[in-house]
Amino acid sequence: MLVDTRATGTAAYSRGNSRYNKRAHLDISVGEADLKRRLRTSAGEKARHARARTLGAAPAFLAVFILAFAFASTAGPQTAPLHVKAAAEPSAPAKAYGSPNAPITMEVFSDYECPSCRNLFEQTLRPLIGSYVADGKVYLIHRDFPLPMHKYGYEAARWLNASARAGQFQAVEATLYDNQNTWAEDGNIAKFVSGAMSPEAFKRVETLMRGCTDPATAGQQGQGCVVDPYIELDRALGNKIPVQATPTFVITYKGQHLPAGSGFVSWPILKQFFDSLLGQ
Amino acid sequence: MSGHARGGLGRILLIVGRVVLGGIFIFAAYAKMKPQTGMPWTLGSVRTSLSMFAMGVDSYQMLPPAAVSPFAHALPIFELVLGIWLLTGIALRLSSLLSTLAVLMFFTAMFSAYERGLTISCGCFGPGEQIGPRRLVEEGVAFLPLALAVTIGAFLIRRKSRAVSSEARAPVQST
Repeated sequence: MLVDTRATGTAAYSRGNSRYNKRAHLDISVGEADLKRRLRTSAGEKARHARARTLGAAPAFLAVFILAFAFASTAGPQTAPLHVKAAAEPSAPAKAYGSPNAPITMEVFSDYECPSCRNLFEQTLRPLIGSYVADGKVYLIHRDFPLPMHKYGYEAARWLNASARAGQFQAVEATLYDNQNTWAEDGNIAKFVSGAMSPEAFKRVETLMRGCTDPATAGQQGQGCVVDPYIELDRALGNKIPVQATPTFVITYKGQHLPAGSGFVSWPILKQFFDSLLGQ
Repeated sequence: MSGHARGGLGRILLIVGRVVLGGIFIFAAYAKMKPQTGMPWTLGSVRTSLSMFAMGVDSYQMLPPAAVSPFAHALPIFELVLGIWLLTGIALRLSSLLSTLAVLMFFTAMFSAYERGLTISCGCFGPGEQIGPRRLVEEGVAFLPLALAVTIGAFLIRRKSRAVSSEARAPVQST
């Protein structure tokens, strides 16, 4: 006779309390040896279920532990906004757009020879300057972070800082990015700088650039270039973040500076982020 | 070591593996959604964090601008659900398979960004972590094999337990 042992065993187990009752009931269909085996199996299954329950509880405990750890790590040290520190430097030229009283401050560490920095400026910062900066919502600060891998990056930063001292920052920044491909080939930056301002203003810039034209002295203090300390000041700020690549941007909202971001970001996405900040 | 003991050890390792993997996914979701320092836990501050994560997604330059924001808002929720799902152990084969595919997708995106010379934040566990050889090794040597091991383990143990249960169900000749 063929019997489904599992079904019979379960039925018998539920009916009787004593082991003998179960055995008597089952004896009709199966042998004693088989019954013993099934009883052992039943006890084994119970133990397995108990183990499974114990092990099943472990993930729940671990999940609670992970979440507790994660929440505990939320409270991090708060750093003062970078632009506040930079503003304390009295002789640094203004390399910024908009009002310093804007609720959001965006500091962009860039290299004028870096293609991603150019893309960020042309496609994202230009619309930002025309809208949120003009509306007083965002204060945009340029920070120099020329990379050693770029041949003329440091020299371009020197021209920009000299122009900023002469009050020509915005025009020169735009022309440097607009003509990046050209001057990055031959290093003739002066041609584009002179085209971006009046001859009188360019004369002032040239005067400031005396002693700065030698690329070999780039970044070396005390070599007679008056604008190098400004670049080094920005680089020192960047190293504190630390800036690992350009462009890197730091956004400060109502005195709290948010984690630095790097790389290109498109204007609609940046705008959405500013909107969420302003909606706080 | 007997086959039964090996099976028991395998189950324990699978539980540990899925708990660790689930924990990683939950932590990744939390790191993306948590409010920035100084901001309270509100819907607005979580939205700000997700918008910040969207900037990180955008910097990979792999998605069209219209897709960046929906993806950035959906991914942490997906990670959270997947992490909890892995912890419960329900339908483990499917959840582990999804986790392997997710880790593979992250690894591919990072490798692609690295190959294209993009020096951007990984965005894996919140902002700040730069993509580089170290990050790629971490993802490729630690997370991907872990997800793969859990997936393979889930399939193997399921197959084994099926074999055992079919043996138990086998009809017995009465005497």
